[in-house]
Amino acid sequence: MTISTGIRVAALDDVAEGEGIAISKAITGTADNIAILRDEDGSVWALDDTCTHETASLADGWVEDGHVECPLHSSKFCLKSGEVQGLPATKNTCPHRVELRDSDIWLFPNETP
Amino acid sequence: MDSPRRIVIVGGGIAGVSTAAALRAGGFLDDITLVDAGEFPYDRPPLSKEYLAGTYEIEKLALQPASWYDDHRIRLVNRTEVTAIRSGEAAVELADGSRLAADRVVLATGGHAARPLIAGVGDALDSLVHVLRTAADADRLRKALVPGARLMIVGGGLIGAEVASTALELGCEVTLVDPASPPLAHAVGTPVACWLHELHAERGVTVLRSGVESISAAVGGMQALLSGEKEPRYFDAVLLAVGMVPSTGLAEAAGLEIDRGIVVDEGQTTSTSAVLAVGDTARRRVGGVLQPRAEHWEAAQHDGARAAATILDLPAPETSASWFWTDRHGLHVEAVGRIADAVETVTRGRIGDPAFSVFGLAGGRVVGAVAVNEPNAARAARRLIDRRLPVETSRLADAGTDLRRLLRG
Repeated sequence: MTISTGIRVAALDDVAEGEGIAISKAITGTADNIAILRDEDGSVWALDDTCTHETASLADGWVEDGHVECPLHSSKFCLKSGEVQGLPATKNTCPHRVELRDSDIWLFPNETP
Repeated sequence: MDSPRRIVIVGGGIAGVSTAAALRAGGFLDDITLVDAGEFPYDRPPLSKEYLAGTYEIEKLALQPASWYDDHRIRLVNRTEVTAIRSGEAAVELADGSRLAADRVVLATGGHAARPLIAGVGDALDSLVHVLRTAADADRLRKALVPGARLMIVGGGLIGAEVASTALELGCEVTLVDPASPPLAHAVGTPVACWLHELHAERGVTVLRSGVESISAAVGGMQALLSGEKEPRYFDAVLLAVGMVPSTGLAEAAGLEIDRGIVVDEGQTTSTSAVLAVGDTARRRVGGVLQPRAEHWEAAQHDGARAAATILDLPAPETSASWFWTDRHGLHVEAVGRIADAVETVTRGRIGDPAFSVFGLAGGRVVGAVAVNEPNAARAARRLIDRRLPVETSRLADAGTDLRRLLRG
Protein backbone atom coordinates (compact mmCIF):
# COMPACT_ATOMS: atom_id res chain seq x y z
CA MET A 1 0.00 0.00 0.00
CA THR A 2 1.31 3.37 -1.00
CA ILE A 3 0.66 5.98 1.62
CA SER A 4 -0.39 9.08 -0.19
CA THR A 5 -0.54 12.64 0.94
CA GLY A 6 -3.90 14.05 1.86
CA ILE A 7 -5.57 16.52 -0.49
CA ARG A 8 -8.07 19.12 0.63
CA VAL A 9 -10.83 18.49 -1.91
CA ALA A 10 -13.80 20.50 -0.66
CA ALA A 11 -15.39 22.31 2.20
CA LEU A 12 -17.87 20.18 4.10
CA ASP A 13 -20.64 22.58 3.09
CA ASP A 14 -19.89 21.91 -0.59
CA VAL A 15 -21.46 18.46 -0.25
CA ALA A 16 -25.11 18.33 0.81
CA GLU A 17 -26.26 15.48 3.00
CA GLY A 18 -27.52 12.66 0.80
CA GLU A 19 -25.45 13.82 -2.16
CA GLY A 20 -21.98 13.69 -3.62
CA ILE A 21 -19.44 15.52 -5.72
CA ALA A 22 -16.87 14.09 -8.12
CA ILE A 23 -13.20 14.99 -7.80
CA SER A 24 -11.26 14.70 -11.04
CA LYS A 25 -8.53 12.10 -11.30
CA ALA A 26 -6.30 14.91 -12.48
CA ILE A 27 -6.45 16.16 -8.89
CA THR A 28 -6.52 12.82 -7.07
CA GLY A 29 -3.89 11.11 -9.20
CA THR A 30 -5.99 7.92 -9.17
CA ALA A 31 -7.11 5.67 -12.02
CA ASP A 32 -10.71 6.88 -11.72
CA ASN A 33 -12.32 10.07 -10.52
CA ILE A 34 -13.28 9.89 -6.86
CA ALA A 35 -16.80 10.49 -5.53
CA ILE A 36 -17.01 12.31 -2.22
CA LEU A 37 -20.30 11.14 -0.75
CA ARG A 38 -22.07 12.52 2.29
CA ASP A 39 -24.49 10.26 4.10
CA GLU A 40 -27.67 11.58 5.67
CA ASP A 41 -26.07 11.36 9.11
CA GLY A 42 -23.48 13.87 7.90
CA SER A 43 -20.59 11.39 7.60
CA VAL A 44 -18.34 11.70 4.55
CA TRP A 45 -16.99 8.85 2.42
CA ALA A 46 -15.03 8.41 -0.79
CA LEU A 47 -15.37 5.78 -3.53
CA ASP A 48 -14.14 5.39 -7.08
CA ASP A 49 -16.68 7.45 -8.98
CA THR A 50 -17.55 5.26 -11.97
CA CYS A 51 -20.13 2.56 -11.35
CA THR A 52 -18.61 -0.85 -11.98
CA HIS A 53 -21.58 -1.78 -14.17
CA GLU A 54 -21.86 0.94 -16.81
CA THR A 55 -20.56 4.45 -17.20
CA ALA A 56 -22.34 6.45 -14.54
CA SER A 57 -21.04 8.78 -11.85
CA LEU A 58 -21.77 7.60 -8.31
CA ALA A 59 -21.36 11.23 -7.22
CA ASP A 60 -24.72 11.79 -8.96
CA GLY A 61 -26.27 8.92 -7.02
CA TRP A 62 -28.60 8.73 -4.06
CA VAL A 63 -26.74 8.51 -0.74
CA GLU A 64 -28.63 7.06 2.18
CA ASP A 65 -28.16 4.72 5.09
CA GLY A 66 -24.55 3.74 4.47
CA HIS A 67 -24.99 3.21 0.72
CA VAL A 68 -24.90 5.00 -2.57
CA GLU A 69 -27.36 3.99 -5.26
CA CYS A 70 -26.18 4.39 -8.86
CA PRO A 71 -28.24 6.95 -10.80
CA LEU A 72 -28.57 4.69 -13.85
CA HIS A 73 -29.65 1.22 -12.75
CA SER A 74 -29.68 1.50 -8.95
CA SER A 75 -26.77 -0.82 -8.17
CA LYS A 76 -25.90 -0.22 -4.51
CA PHE A 77 -22.45 0.16 -3.01
CA CYS A 78 -21.42 0.29 0.66
CA LEU A 79 -19.99 3.74 1.41
CA LYS A 80 -17.42 2.34 3.80
CA SER A 81 -16.13 -0.73 1.98
CA GLY A 82 -17.16 -0.15 -1.65
CA GLU A 83 -18.80 -3.58 -1.62
CA VAL A 84 -21.50 -4.03 -4.24
CA GLN A 85 -24.82 -4.91 -2.64
CA GLY A 86 -27.24 -5.00 -5.51
CA LEU A 87 -27.30 -6.01 -9.18
CA PRO A 88 -26.77 -5.21 -11.99
CA ALA A 89 -23.19 -4.36 -10.91
CA THR A 90 -21.25 -7.38 -9.69
CA LYS A 91 -17.87 -5.86 -8.91
CA ASN A 92 -16.95 -3.88 -5.81
CA THR A 93 -15.76 -0.34 -6.17
CA CYS A 94 -12.67 1.02 -4.42
CA PRO A 95 -13.02 3.01 -1.17
CA HIS A 96 -10.62 5.79 -0.16
CA ARG A 97 -9.99 7.38 3.21
CA VAL A 98 -11.33 10.83 4.00
CA GLU A 99 -10.76 12.99 7.04
CA LEU A 100 -12.60 16.07 8.26
CA ARG A 101 -10.32 18.86 9.42
CA ASP A 102 -12.26 21.78 10.78
CA SER A 103 -14.84 22.29 8.05
CA ASP A 104 -12.77 20.87 5.21
CA ILE A 105 -12.80 17.44 3.57
CA TRP A 106 -9.37 15.88 3.08
CA LEU A 107 -8.99 12.92 0.77
CA PHE A 108 -6.27 10.29 1.05
CA PRO A 109 -6.39 8.50 -2.30
CA ASN A 110 -5.76 4.74 -2.23
CA GLU A 111 -5.69 4.59 1.58
CA THR A 112 -8.13 2.17 3.17
CA PRO A 113 -10.80 3.94 5.24
CA MET B 1 -43.49 -29.97 5.12
CA ASP B 2 -39.93 -30.85 6.12
CA SER B 3 -37.28 -28.22 5.57
CA PRO B 4 -36.23 -28.46 1.94
CA ARG B 5 -32.65 -29.53 1.32
CA ARG B 6 -32.47 -29.58 -2.45
CA ILE B 7 -33.66 -26.63 -4.52
CA VAL B 8 -33.74 -26.71 -8.32
CA ILE B 9 -34.22 -23.39 -10.08
CA VAL B 10 -35.33 -23.67 -13.70
CA GLY B 11 -34.11 -20.73 -15.76
CA GLY B 12 -31.10 -18.43 -15.46
CA GLY B 13 -32.56 -14.99 -16.04
CA ILE B 14 -32.58 -12.26 -13.42
CA ALA B 15 -35.43 -14.00 -11.53
CA GLY B 16 -33.65 -17.35 -11.28
CA VAL B 17 -30.27 -15.93 -10.34
CA SER B 18 -31.88 -13.59 -7.80
CA THR B 19 -33.68 -16.52 -6.20
CA ALA B 20 -30.39 -18.39 -5.79
CA ALA B 21 -28.66 -15.31 -4.37
CA ALA B 22 -31.50 -14.64 -1.93
CA LEU B 23 -31.51 -18.25 -0.72
CA ARG B 24 -27.83 -18.01 0.16
CA ALA B 25 -28.22 -14.52 1.64
CA GLY B 26 -31.06 -15.91 3.76
CA GLY B 27 -28.82 -18.60 5.21
CA PHE B 28 -29.78 -21.64 3.12
CA LEU B 29 -26.85 -24.06 3.39
CA ASP B 30 -27.94 -27.04 1.30
CA ASP B 31 -28.06 -27.77 -2.43
CA ILE B 32 -29.00 -25.16 -5.00
CA THR B 33 -28.97 -26.17 -8.66
CA LEU B 34 -29.66 -23.63 -11.38
CA VAL B 35 -30.57 -25.15 -14.73
CA ASP B 36 -30.16 -22.83 -17.70
CA ALA B 37 -30.55 -23.45 -21.40
CA GLY B 38 -27.81 -20.97 -22.29
CA GLU B 39 -24.05 -20.89 -21.87
CA PHE B 40 -24.30 -18.76 -18.71
CA PRO B 41 -26.97 -16.55 -17.13
CA TYR B 42 -26.92 -13.11 -18.70
CA ASP B 43 -28.68 -9.80 -18.29
CA ARG B 44 -31.30 -8.93 -20.89
CA PRO B 45 -31.80 -5.14 -20.80
CA PRO B 46 -28.68 -4.46 -22.95
CA LEU B 47 -29.97 -6.80 -25.69
CA SER B 48 -31.94 -3.94 -27.25
CA LYS B 49 -29.22 -1.37 -26.58
CA GLU B 50 -25.46 -1.79 -26.08
CA TYR B 51 -25.36 -5.47 -27.02
CA LEU B 52 -27.45 -4.95 -30.14
CA ALA B 53 -25.27 -1.99 -31.09
CA GLY B 54 -22.19 -4.20 -30.76
CA THR B 55 -20.71 -2.05 -27.98
CA TYR B 56 -20.82 -4.89 -25.43
CA GLU B 57 -19.69 -8.47 -25.82
CA ILE B 58 -21.84 -11.21 -24.32
CA GLU B 59 -19.32 -11.71 -21.48
CA LYS B 60 -20.08 -8.18 -20.29
CA LEU B 61 -23.72 -9.23 -19.86
CA ALA B 62 -22.99 -12.06 -17.40
CA LEU B 63 -25.36 -11.62 -14.46
CA GLN B 64 -22.60 -12.88 -12.18
CA PRO B 65 -18.97 -13.79 -12.82
CA ALA B 66 -18.30 -17.54 -13.12
CA SER B 67 -16.57 -17.53 -9.71
CA TRP B 68 -19.76 -16.31 -8.03
CA TYR B 69 -21.50 -19.64 -8.58
CA ASP B 70 -18.59 -21.49 -6.97
CA ASP B 71 -18.26 -18.98 -4.14
CA HIS B 72 -21.95 -19.37 -3.32
CA ARG B 73 -22.00 -23.13 -3.94
CA ILE B 74 -24.62 -22.80 -6.64
CA ARG B 75 -24.39 -25.64 -9.11
CA LEU B 76 -24.91 -24.18 -12.56
CA VAL B 77 -26.12 -26.75 -15.07
CA ASN B 78 -25.88 -24.90 -18.36
CA ARG B 79 -27.01 -25.76 -21.89
CA THR B 80 -29.66 -27.95 -20.35
CA GLU B 81 -33.42 -27.94 -20.36
CA VAL B 82 -35.80 -29.28 -17.78
CA THR B 83 -38.46 -31.30 -19.58
CA ALA B 84 -40.77 -32.27 -16.72
CA ILE B 85 -41.52 -31.61 -13.07
CA ARG B 86 -42.04 -34.76 -11.02
CA SER B 87 -43.15 -33.13 -7.79
CA GLY B 88 -44.66 -36.39 -6.52
CA GLU B 89 -41.18 -37.88 -6.74
CA ALA B 90 -39.39 -34.70 -5.61
CA ALA B 91 -37.45 -34.42 -8.87
CA VAL B 92 -37.23 -32.73 -12.23
CA GLU B 93 -36.43 -34.51 -15.45
CA LEU B 94 -33.82 -33.22 -17.89
CA ALA B 95 -33.76 -33.42 -21.69
CA ASP B 96 -31.35 -36.38 -21.60
CA GLY B 97 -33.77 -38.34 -19.43
CA SER B 98 -31.75 -37.96 -16.23
CA ARG B 99 -33.27 -36.59 -13.05
CA LEU B 100 -32.33 -34.01 -10.47
CA ALA B 101 -33.65 -34.42 -6.95
CA ALA B 102 -35.69 -31.39 -5.90
CA ASP B 103 -37.57 -30.80 -2.67
CA ARG B 104 -38.59 -27.46 -4.12
CA VAL B 105 -38.67 -26.41 -7.76
CA VAL B 106 -38.55 -22.73 -8.63
CA LEU B 107 -39.80 -22.02 -12.15
CA ALA B 108 -38.01 -19.00 -13.60
CA THR B 109 -38.76 -19.93 -17.17
CA GLY B 110 -39.44 -16.41 -18.43
CA GLY B 111 -41.25 -16.10 -21.70
CA HIS B 112 -40.93 -15.90 -25.43
CA ALA B 113 -41.72 -13.12 -27.84
CA ALA B 114 -45.38 -12.94 -28.78
CA ARG B 115 -46.40 -13.32 -32.43
CA PRO B 116 -48.91 -10.74 -33.57
CA LEU B 117 -52.04 -11.78 -35.44
CA ILE B 118 -50.78 -10.75 -38.84
CA ALA B 119 -51.29 -12.77 -42.01
CA GLY B 120 -47.97 -14.35 -42.96
CA VAL B 121 -46.61 -14.43 -39.39
CA GLY B 122 -46.38 -17.91 -37.94
CA ASP B 123 -44.45 -19.49 -35.11
CA ALA B 124 -41.59 -20.21 -37.49
CA LEU B 125 -40.02 -16.94 -38.55
CA ASP B 126 -39.03 -16.06 -42.08
CA SER B 127 -35.30 -15.38 -42.25
CA LEU B 128 -35.95 -11.63 -42.51
CA VAL B 129 -38.45 -11.51 -39.63
CA HIS B 130 -37.10 -11.04 -36.11
CA VAL B 131 -38.09 -11.05 -32.47
CA LEU B 132 -35.92 -9.97 -29.54
CA ARG B 133 -35.85 -11.94 -26.36
CA THR B 134 -32.50 -13.73 -26.20
CA ALA B 135 -28.88 -12.99 -27.03
CA ALA B 136 -29.23 -15.28 -30.07
CA ASP B 137 -32.18 -13.15 -31.25
CA ALA B 138 -30.03 -10.04 -30.80
CA ASP B 139 -27.12 -11.60 -32.74
CA ARG B 140 -29.45 -12.43 -35.61
CA LEU B 141 -31.06 -8.97 -35.59
CA ARG B 142 -27.71 -7.20 -35.43
CA LYS B 143 -26.63 -8.86 -38.68
CA ALA B 144 -29.66 -7.30 -40.35
CA LEU B 145 -29.00 -3.81 -38.99
CA VAL B 146 -26.45 -2.74 -41.57
CA PRO B 147 -26.25 0.93 -42.58
CA GLY B 148 -29.06 1.80 -44.96
CA ALA B 149 -31.13 -1.30 -44.14
CA ARG B 150 -34.86 -0.62 -44.07
CA LEU B 151 -36.22 -1.95 -40.77
CA MET B 152 -39.89 -2.12 -39.89
CA ILE B 153 -40.62 -2.45 -36.18
CA VAL B 154 -44.10 -3.65 -35.25
CA GLY B 155 -44.89 -2.37 -31.76
CA GLY B 156 -43.73 0.83 -30.07
CA GLY B 157 -43.37 -0.41 -26.50
CA LEU B 158 -40.08 -0.66 -24.61
CA ILE B 159 -38.34 -3.14 -26.93
CA GLY B 160 -39.64 -1.56 -30.13
CA ALA B 161 -38.69 1.95 -29.04
CA GLU B 162 -35.22 0.96 -27.83
CA VAL B 163 -34.44 -0.99 -30.97
CA ALA B 164 -35.66 1.96 -33.08
CA SER B 165 -33.13 4.14 -31.29
CA THR B 166 -30.29 1.61 -31.63
CA ALA B 167 -31.05 0.86 -35.29
CA LEU B 168 -31.04 4.58 -36.06
CA GLU B 169 -27.58 4.87 -34.46
CA LEU B 170 -26.45 1.99 -36.66
CA GLY B 171 -27.53 3.91 -39.74
CA CYS B 172 -30.74 2.04 -40.57
CA GLU B 173 -33.90 3.52 -42.06
CA VAL B 174 -36.43 2.77 -39.34
CA THR B 175 -40.21 2.58 -39.63
CA LEU B 176 -42.12 2.11 -36.36
CA VAL B 177 -45.69 0.89 -36.64
CA ASP B 178 -48.09 0.80 -33.71
CA PRO B 179 -51.87 1.10 -33.66
CA ALA B 180 -51.92 2.47 -30.10
CA SER B 181 -51.36 6.13 -29.48
CA PRO B 182 -49.22 6.61 -27.65
CA PRO B 183 -47.52 3.45 -26.38
CA LEU B 184 -46.62 3.41 -22.65
CA ALA B 185 -49.40 5.86 -21.73
CA HIS B 186 -50.43 3.62 -18.85
CA ALA B 187 -46.87 3.37 -17.50
CA VAL B 188 -45.65 6.97 -17.82
CA GLY B 189 -48.86 9.01 -18.26
CA THR B 190 -50.22 10.30 -21.56
CA PRO B 191 -48.29 13.60 -21.87
CA VAL B 192 -44.87 11.99 -21.36
CA ALA B 193 -45.84 8.99 -23.49
CA CYS B 194 -46.84 11.34 -26.34
CA TRP B 195 -43.60 13.25 -26.10
CA LEU B 196 -41.51 10.07 -26.00
CA HIS B 197 -43.31 8.67 -29.02
CA GLU B 198 -42.96 11.93 -30.96
CA LEU B 199 -39.24 11.88 -30.27
CA HIS B 200 -38.90 8.95 -32.68
CA ALA B 201 -40.05 11.07 -35.59
CA GLU B 202 -37.89 13.99 -34.48
CA ARG B 203 -34.86 11.74 -34.53
CA GLY B 204 -35.65 10.43 -38.00
CA VAL B 205 -37.84 7.38 -37.49
CA THR B 206 -40.90 7.07 -39.72
CA VAL B 207 -43.72 6.62 -37.21
CA LEU B 208 -47.01 5.18 -38.44
CA ARG B 209 -50.11 4.80 -36.33
CA SER B 210 -51.48 1.73 -37.96
CA GLY B 211 -52.07 -1.97 -37.80
CA VAL B 212 -50.32 -4.41 -40.10
CA GLU B 213 -52.53 -6.57 -42.34
CA SER B 214 -49.92 -8.88 -43.76
CA ILE B 215 -46.22 -9.54 -44.07
CA SER B 216 -44.76 -11.61 -46.86
CA ALA B 217 -41.58 -12.23 -48.77
CA ALA B 218 -40.80 -9.90 -51.65
CA VAL B 219 -37.91 -9.78 -54.09
CA GLY B 220 -34.84 -9.13 -51.97
CA GLY B 221 -36.77 -8.41 -48.81
CA MET B 222 -40.17 -8.30 -47.16
CA GLN B 223 -43.35 -6.48 -47.98
CA ALA B 224 -45.87 -5.32 -45.44
CA LEU B 225 -49.40 -4.18 -46.09
CA LEU B 226 -50.54 -1.70 -43.46
CA SER B 227 -54.17 -1.20 -42.47
CA GLY B 228 -55.94 1.18 -44.80
CA GLU B 229 -53.15 1.26 -47.39
CA LYS B 230 -53.45 -0.14 -50.88
CA GLU B 231 -49.78 -0.54 -51.75
CA PRO B 232 -47.35 -2.60 -49.69
CA ARG B 233 -44.26 -1.05 -48.14
CA TYR B 234 -40.90 -2.76 -48.65
CA PHE B 235 -38.35 -3.57 -45.97
CA ASP B 236 -35.10 -5.46 -45.57
CA ALA B 237 -36.03 -6.73 -42.11
CA VAL B 238 -39.02 -6.79 -39.78
CA LEU B 239 -38.93 -6.86 -35.98
CA LEU B 240 -42.02 -8.07 -34.17
CA ALA B 241 -42.04 -6.32 -30.78
CA VAL B 242 -45.55 -6.88 -29.50
CA GLY B 243 -44.87 -8.20 -26.03
CA MET B 244 -44.18 -11.55 -24.47
CA VAL B 245 -45.93 -14.81 -23.78
CA PRO B 246 -44.98 -16.52 -20.51
CA SER B 247 -43.35 -19.93 -20.88
CA THR B 248 -45.75 -22.07 -18.91
CA GLY B 249 -45.33 -25.43 -20.66
CA LEU B 250 -43.64 -27.21 -17.75
CA ALA B 251 -46.19 -25.85 -15.29
CA GLU B 252 -49.12 -26.80 -17.52
CA ALA B 253 -47.84 -30.35 -17.94
CA ALA B 254 -47.50 -30.57 -14.16
CA GLY B 255 -51.14 -29.53 -13.78
CA LEU B 256 -50.42 -26.19 -12.07
CA GLU B 257 -52.94 -23.35 -12.18
CA ILE B 258 -52.29 -21.14 -15.21
CA ASP B 259 -53.96 -17.89 -16.19
CA ARG B 260 -51.81 -16.07 -18.74
CA GLY B 261 -48.91 -16.89 -16.45
CA ILE B 262 -48.22 -19.38 -13.71
CA VAL B 263 -50.53 -18.34 -10.89
CA VAL B 264 -48.69 -17.92 -7.59
CA ASP B 265 -49.67 -16.67 -4.15
CA GLU B 266 -48.14 -13.66 -2.39
CA GLY B 267 -45.10 -15.75 -1.49
CA GLN B 268 -44.61 -17.05 -5.08
CA THR B 269 -45.93 -20.57 -4.38
CA THR B 270 -47.91 -22.15 -7.23
CA SER B 271 -50.99 -24.29 -6.80
CA THR B 272 -48.58 -27.11 -5.82
CA SER B 273 -46.77 -26.36 -2.59
CA ALA B 274 -43.41 -27.81 -3.68
CA VAL B 275 -43.28 -25.65 -6.81
CA LEU B 276 -42.73 -21.88 -6.88
CA ALA B 277 -42.61 -19.51 -9.85
CA VAL B 278 -40.81 -16.18 -10.26
CA GLY B 279 -40.23 -13.49 -12.86
CA ASP B 280 -41.90 -12.97 -16.22
CA THR B 281 -43.63 -16.33 -16.16
CA ALA B 282 -45.37 -15.78 -12.84
CA ARG B 283 -48.59 -13.98 -12.00
CA ARG B 284 -49.25 -13.19 -8.36
CA ARG B 285 -52.56 -13.35 -6.61
CA VAL B 286 -52.48 -10.72 -3.90
CA GLY B 287 -55.37 -10.39 -1.47
CA GLY B 288 -57.40 -12.70 -3.70
CA VAL B 289 -56.86 -10.54 -6.78
CA LEU B 290 -54.79 -11.76 -9.71
CA GLN B 291 -52.25 -9.08 -10.63
CA PRO B 292 -51.00 -8.31 -14.14
CA ARG B 293 -47.58 -9.78 -14.89
CA ALA B 294 -44.94 -7.22 -13.96
CA GLU B 295 -42.51 -8.00 -16.82
CA HIS B 296 -39.78 -5.78 -15.43
CA TRP B 297 -36.20 -6.44 -14.39
CA GLU B 298 -36.43 -5.38 -10.77
CA ALA B 299 -39.82 -7.03 -10.25
CA ALA B 300 -38.14 -10.32 -11.16
CA GLN B 301 -35.52 -9.71 -8.47
CA HIS B 302 -38.24 -9.06 -5.91
CA ASP B 303 -40.00 -12.27 -6.90
CA GLY B 304 -36.75 -14.14 -6.27
CA ALA B 305 -36.37 -12.57 -2.83
CA ARG B 306 -39.95 -13.49 -1.95
CA ALA B 307 -39.57 -17.06 -3.18
CA ALA B 308 -36.42 -17.49 -1.11
CA ALA B 309 -38.18 -16.14 1.99
CA THR B 310 -41.04 -18.60 1.43
CA ILE B 311 -38.67 -21.54 1.05
CA LEU B 312 -36.71 -20.52 4.14
CA ASP B 313 -39.87 -19.76 6.12
CA LEU B 314 -38.65 -16.22 6.73
CA PRO B 315 -40.82 -13.09 6.86
CA ALA B 316 -41.62 -11.69 3.41
CA PRO B 317 -39.16 -8.98 2.32
CA GLU B 318 -40.38 -5.40 2.40
CA THR B 319 -42.14 -4.32 -0.74
CA SER B 320 -41.32 -1.22 -2.68
CA ALA B 321 -43.03 0.71 -5.46
CA SER B 322 -42.35 -0.81 -8.86
CA TRP B 323 -39.53 0.67 -10.94
CA PHE B 324 -38.35 0.36 -14.50
CA TRP B 325 -36.14 2.29 -16.85
CA THR B 326 -35.83 2.66 -20.59
CA ASP B 327 -33.01 4.26 -22.57
CA ARG B 328 -33.68 5.64 -26.02
CA HIS B 329 -32.40 8.49 -28.19
CA GLY B 330 -29.80 9.33 -25.56
CA LEU B 331 -32.36 9.75 -22.78
CA HIS B 332 -32.65 7.85 -19.52
CA VAL B 333 -36.29 7.45 -18.52
CA GLU B 334 -37.38 5.95 -15.20
CA ALA B 335 -40.87 5.26 -13.93
CA VAL B 336 -41.87 4.32 -10.40
CA GLY B 337 -45.16 3.31 -8.85
CA ARG B 338 -48.45 3.61 -10.70
CA ILE B 339 -48.92 7.01 -12.31
CA ALA B 340 -52.14 5.67 -13.84
CA ASP B 341 -53.67 5.77 -10.34
CA ALA B 342 -53.03 9.52 -10.00
CA VAL B 343 -55.88 12.01 -9.79
CA GLU B 344 -53.56 14.97 -10.34
CA THR B 345 -50.05 15.41 -11.68
CA VAL B 346 -47.28 17.83 -10.82
CA THR B 347 -44.55 18.56 -13.35
CA ARG B 348 -41.10 19.64 -12.21
CA GLY B 349 -39.44 21.39 -15.09
CA ARG B 350 -41.10 21.19 -18.50
CA ILE B 351 -42.21 18.07 -20.38
CA GLY B 352 -40.06 17.85 -23.47
CA ASP B 353 -37.13 19.73 -21.98
CA PRO B 354 -35.02 17.18 -20.06
CA ALA B 355 -34.23 16.95 -17.27
CA PHE B 356 -37.80 16.93 -15.96
CA SER B 357 -40.11 14.78 -13.91
CA VAL B 358 -43.83 14.26 -13.48
CA PHE B 359 -45.29 13.17 -10.16
CA GLY B 360 -48.74 11.61 -9.92
CA LEU B 361 -50.68 12.17 -6.70
CA ALA B 362 -53.82 10.80 -5.11
CA GLY B 363 -55.12 11.66 -1.68
CA GLY B 364 -52.24 14.05 -0.99
CA ARG B 365 -49.61 11.35 -1.56
CA VAL B 366 -47.37 10.43 -4.45
CA VAL B 367 -48.55 7.26 -6.21
CA GLY B 368 -46.30 7.27 -9.24
CA ALA B 369 -43.71 9.30 -11.12
CA VAL B 370 -41.72 9.42 -14.31
CA ALA B 371 -38.33 11.10 -14.55
CA VAL B 372 -36.33 11.87 -17.69
CA ASN B 373 -32.60 12.37 -17.17
CA GLU B 374 -33.37 13.08 -13.52
CA PRO B 375 -32.60 9.86 -11.66
CA ASN B 376 -32.80 11.25 -8.17
CA ALA B 377 -36.34 12.51 -8.76
CA ALA B 378 -37.32 8.89 -9.42
CA ARG B 379 -35.44 7.77 -6.30
CA ALA B 380 -37.14 10.45 -4.19
CA ALA B 381 -40.55 9.57 -5.64
CA ARG B 382 -40.04 5.95 -4.79
CA ARG B 383 -39.29 6.75 -1.19
CA LEU B 384 -42.24 9.16 -0.98
CA ILE B 385 -44.49 6.35 -2.21
CA ASP B 386 -42.98 3.66 0.00
CA ARG B 387 -43.12 5.80 3.13
CA ARG B 388 -46.60 7.06 2.29
CA LEU B 389 -45.56 10.59 3.13
CA PRO B 390 -48.06 13.39 2.57
CA VAL B 391 -46.71 16.08 0.23
CA GLU B 392 -47.75 19.64 -0.46
CA THR B 393 -48.37 20.04 -4.17
CA SER B 394 -46.93 23.56 -4.22
CA ARG B 395 -43.66 22.46 -2.65
CA LEU B 396 -43.39 19.50 -4.99
CA ALA B 397 -44.06 21.70 -8.04
CA ASP B 398 -41.37 24.19 -7.03
CA ALA B 399 -38.24 23.12 -8.90
CA GLY B 400 -36.28 24.86 -6.16
CA THR B 401 -37.49 22.37 -3.54
CA ASP B 402 -34.87 19.76 -2.75
CA LEU B 403 -36.82 16.51 -3.02
CA ARG B 404 -34.80 15.03 -0.18
CA ARG B 405 -36.29 17.69 2.08
CA LEU B 406 -39.78 16.39 1.29
CA LEU B 407 -38.67 13.03 2.63
CA ARG B 408 -37.52 14.63 5.84
CA GLY B 409 -40.94 16.27 6.23
